[in-house]
Amino acid sequence: MTDIIIQARGVTKIFGGLTAVNAVDIDVEKGSIFSIIGPNGAGKTTLFNCISGFYTPDHGDILFKGESLKGNSTDVVSSRGLSRTYQNIRLFSNLTAIENVMVGQHPRLKESWLDAIVHSPRCKREERASIIEGMKWLEFVGLSGLANATSTSLPYGAQRRLEIARALGSQPQLLLLDEPTAGMNPHETLEMTALIRRMRDEFNITIILIEHDMHVVMGISDHIAVLDFGNKIAEGSPTEIQNDKRVIEAYLGPGGSALAEKYLREKSL
Amino acid sequence: MKALIRQAVRTGFTFGIVNIFFVLIGFNTLIGILLAKLSGIKQPGIIPAPKFLIIYTLLIGLWVGFSAIAKKNELEFGKKVLISGLAGLTTGFLAGLLNAVLAFLLINKVNARDFLTVLSFDFIKGTLFGLPPVSGILMTVVYFTLASLVGGTILALLNLKPVKNAWNATKFFIRSEVDKIQTVTQGKNRLLWQILAISLVAVIVVILPLKWGSYWNYVFGTVGLYVILGLGLNIIVGLSGQLVLGYIAFFAIGAYSMALLNSPVPHNLMWGFWPALVLGVVLAALSGLLLGLPLMRLRGDYLAIVTLGFGEIIRILLKSDLLTKFTGGPRGIQNISGPTLFGKPFASDIDFMFLIIGGVLLAVFVYSRLQHSRTGRAWLSIREDELVARASGVNTVTYKLLALAIGAAFAGLAGGIYASRNQFTGPDEHALMASINVLSLIIVGGMGNIPGTLLGAFALKGLPEILREFANFRLLAFGALLVFMMLSRPEGLIPSRRPKYQLPKDPDKIDSGKEAKND
Repeated sequence: MTDIIIQARGVTKIFGGLTAVNAVDIDVEKGSIFSIIGPNGAGKTTLFNCISGFYTPDHGDILFKGESLKGNSTDVVSSRGLSRTYQNIRLFSNLTAIENVMVGQHPRLKESWLDAIVHSPRCKREERASIIEGMKWLEFVGLSGLANATSTSLPYGAQRRLEIARALGSQPQLLLLDEPTAGMNPHETLEMTALIRRMRDEFNITIILIEHDMHVVMGISDHIAVLDFGNKIAEGSPTEIQNDKRVIEAYLGPGGSALAEKYLREKSL
Repeated sequence: MKALIRQAVRTGFTFGIVNIFFVLIGFNTLIGILLAKLSGIKQPGIIPAPKFLIIYTLLIGLWVGFSAIAKKNELEFGKKVLISGLAGLTTGFLAGLLNAVLAFLLINKVNARDFLTVLSFDFIKGTLFGLPPVSGILMTVVYFTLASLVGGTILALLNLKPVKNAWNATKFFIRSEVDKIQTVTQGKNRLLWQILAISLVAVIVVILPLKWGSYWNYVFGTVGLYVILGLGLNIIVGLSGQLVLGYIAFFAIGAYSMALLNSPVPHNLMWGFWPALVLGVVLAALSGLLLGLPLMRLRGDYLAIVTLGFGEIIRILLKSDLLTKFTGGPRGIQNISGPTLFGKPFASDIDFMFLIIGGVLLAVFVYSRLQHSRTGRAWLSIREDELVARASGVNTVTYKLLALAIGAAFAGLAGGIYASRNQFTGPDEHALMASINVLSLIIVGGMGNIPGTLLGAFALKGLPEILREFANFRLLAFGALLVFMMLSRPEGLIPSRRPKYQLPKDPDKIDSGKEAKND
């Protein structure tokens, strides 16, 4: 079991009378791309927030590299090697692109305020290394010419990629991407898919993905979990999920699987 | 054309109303007095000579003309002149109406001073330019119309193609020259140029306080103290984004540390200036930390209200009967002894000016080192989005407390020097208005940057001292300035600019991984 990077054990989150996430178990293998799908309001983002420390689960536990994350605030979670992006882009809007990435590097650097005032050797070295590395990440996501542009002045797709660059700044082992291709055109979606794959292949980063675009999900996922009304209703490889009756019914409503079968049969005839 | 006429009349009407208000509060005579003083008359009296009031009228008229055709570049020359004249005529008409009313009061000997204190008979005579009533009213209309016509014509001429081209060429020339200078100073001899610039500043800083006399030393000393305060508050508000309203409380802590430790009454401790200054700074920083602890969960408006309360608590504690024995109570603390340097007294106005310049340099140095460091970026990220900053690994509690402590330390430094310079401090020097002053100066100057703070401190603290004539109008001018600033330049006189980063010349020289192992 050493190659499991993160485990959710019976994670439950209740808002008032609504159980947003109900006893969900997830095991994610190191170096895999894991997708969480489900209809709107299924509790995907809530689960993300539980994992990244924004919410504390009411029941259950989350183990990151074998250690519990429960009760840790987001900054501690982040410094352990877990970063994330957001469904609605949340960049530091008045800072430049490179500054955003440099903030992302924060937990890995040691330079204190006293270092900064006296310009200690450590400060000079870290500042230099952090610019070099920041530029590297910007280049990796395809924003090399835009380092000094204010982040809000960037086009939408670039802002999404900048968010990923910022998350990479902390050199995470696990990256949570919340709808990375939302609002993108087909071309941009293809680029984003390639980027996600490269992150895994080149840096061996484990990726958990929330995504609505089924082409993306089925194309890059090693493993998929499906949530509906807070419950995990299915888990497996993309082909298993595509043929799962409960999944189809969750998306299309009761009787949906029969409809889908009929549709597929007619199409193949 | 109809729309244009309507617009022109509306502009004129607006200015007419503003002018009526100006006259009714005596602003015209005020400007007149100022003009008279500028032209060398030592004692202009309460009502200046008519010619200065005419100049005031003409100035307002010019302004009407300018704004009547501002942003109407595409119009023909003739129409522009026509419109400006029309606007001026409208303003003049309203001013004439007012003057007719005033003249009526004058002729019938109605004393209007019971209602508006400025409306003395002398004032009315002055407003009519010392002429008989009817010609005074007529001349008002004529002056406004003429001045507006002239203003409009000037602006229209400036907007003509050849003039504009020449202007653009000049601008381009100046810019290219500036660029040339910049490339020279940024090039090989960068260090040399830096040394040259620093020594130039140093020479000015050393020579000016010796030359310009105690009055200017006092005025610029105050400006300097407010620069230190402004930079400190800028760390808290401008960088880390916490709206703290009771900032002056930290200043009070610095001032009272100095006062209590260096005054014969009430304790007669006499520690000397330097230990008291250091202790004041440390105490202010500690109180910043203590205040910060309950603030960590608050944001925005709530934070502002709580810190407002903190400022008032400190002031009222200092004033209270209970603590009179300890803090001197409402009367404050007198006879605070001045600093010594190597056993010699160091307390003349020139010495204090040097001390304040030293403090300003220290504050500027610390601020500039911090603002583009890892710490500064952490603060900025908290200002932009606290939740995301935290999820990016920034310990927001630590960094917010750090900002409060460092900002408070700046205030403690300024407070200590202030108390020692004035040889007095009392609770009412540390009222809410002082906090608002500091906040205004960084908002007006430009949030989060050093040149903005310098300019803001000069504009809000230096100018009122220089323009003593406006003493009665200071708060009015202050409020108007803030409103105007927020409408036209919400980012301040000198907006913050983000630093530009470039890849170092030989990026492969330092491998960050290797270096980390050497640690």
